[in-house]
Amino acid sequence: MKAFRLRAHLFAVVMIVALSSCGSAAIPEVPMVGVSRIIDAGASTTVLPKRKSNTISHPMRLIIPSVAIDAPVEEVGTQANADLATPTQNPWQDVGWYDQGPQPGERGSAVMDGHLDRPGGFPAVFWRLRDMHVGDEVLVRNSLGETIRFRVTRIELFPPQDAPIQDIFGNWGGIYLNLITCAGDWIPSQHQTNLRLVVYTSLVVK
Amino acid sequence: MEMKRNSGTLIGMLCLTIGMIGVLAFTMLFSPPKKTALAASPSYVRVIHASPFVGTADVFVDGTKLLSSFQFGAVTGYVAIPAGPHKVQIALVGRGIGASVLSETLAVSPGVAYTVAATGATPSSLALQVFIDSNLLSPGTARLRLYQLSPDAGSVSLDTGGDSLVSGVGYKSASNYLTIAPGSYTIGVDATSNTSLHVSATLKANTVTSVFAVGLVHGTPNIQLVTSQAQGLPALPNTGSDPNAITQENNVQSLAGWVWLVACSSLVFIGSSLFVRRFFLLARQ
Repeated sequence: MKAFRLRAHLFAVVMIVALSSCGSAAIPEVPMVGVSRIIDAGASTTVLPKRKSNTISHPMRLIIPSVAIDAPVEEVGTQANADLATPTQNPWQDVGWYDQGPQPGERGSAVMDGHLDRPGGFPAVFWRLRDMHVGDEVLVRNSLGETIRFRVTRIELFPPQDAPIQDIFGNWGGIYLNLITCAGDWIPSQHQTNLRLVVYTSLVVK
Repeated sequence: MEMKRNSGTLIGMLCLTIGMIGVLAFTMLFSPPKKTALAASPSYVRVIHASPFVGTADVFVDGTKLLSSFQFGAVTGYVAIPAGPHKVQIALVGRGIGASVLSETLAVSPGVAYTVAATGATPSSLALQVFIDSNLLSPGTARLRLYQLSPDAGSVSLDTGGDSLVSGVGYKSASNYLTIAPGSYTIGVDATSNTSLHVSATLKANTVTSVFAVGLVHGTPNIQLVTSQAQGLPALPNTGSDPNAITQENNVQSLAGWVWLVACSSLVFIGSSLFVRRFFLLARQ
């Protein structure tokens, strides 16, 4: 009797595992937005502060080791309503760099945005931006093969209509890279969340 | 018999461990985001020297020299300063803070951009005039604003090549932001004292241009137009998605997710029941 019960339990376990595999992969495919990889900072080239140069370059990848983000960068502009545009080529995997502002590494506030999630609530490229901390490192690799290093100085939440756009987009007092994504609660009537998360970073100079 | 009891215990532990890990992973994946405490953003201030009385000056903020040899008609870019009250003092160049001819407290709010004008043609009329700015861009068009800082020009109007855009802007006042098609213009400012001034400017798309009327109609420095153009700034993006949207992709993912949760919960139940059964067996012995 006891042997039968043991076999029954084992059978139940096997059946449940088998049934969970039907219709999809055994483990639901949560989209991974980048390979988790520790960057050997010592091997990268730090770009010193520079004035706007005549060399044509653009950011290619955004890498944030602390939250496992390693994403391609698209150029984005503005929408008809003056909002910063979001990536369109690969909306959920790419990060958008505002190409009307400075490049990462140039004086001023370079800005990148990325989606928090995709329709249905599954993670997108900046899902884990909310897990960042002051002091975290942010890396940008550009088309010239240079790696530009930044460090997080502030993390803030704003209602979008009350956000300090001069502070986010228009600080010419140094070299900054600011990251933006959505946060807070979804408001169906407005088709947006009630908050935006802004991660402020400053250039690391060796 | 002992081997059967041990295998039952091991199976129970395995089911319980796998099940708990699975349930924990599921809840962590869809846990609500943490909220971060708001921090005060700095204010942004640009300064224009519009006082015919002062001449070239040094400007001090909270006892520290901010601007040196600041000439009449000069306008700075926006500089970040902490929000809150600040003591602003203006002295003739090289005379030191102790010889300040103007001393005022300037209170600025977080995240707000300001134009601060040093004004006044006489010692008794020296004062700071503060304007709240908005550098939000207008997509594909240019924005324009007139600041009337000439003490004796009266109310002024602004036109572009004869097209009147705004009128009745009084001393120490600024117009609303005007939206205008990008292009090269001859901007005209007419004062009530039959004084007309013109300046050529290229108004680029997505920029914000400020036109300052400074100086004296009757006296020196003469009335003149000073322009300053800033890059317009976008509003924040909409980077969220409807969590309740049903798509073909997330239909499959959602179903798989729930099956996984049920499977793991079942393993927890089986593991727990094996341990309970083991407990009662031991209690009977």
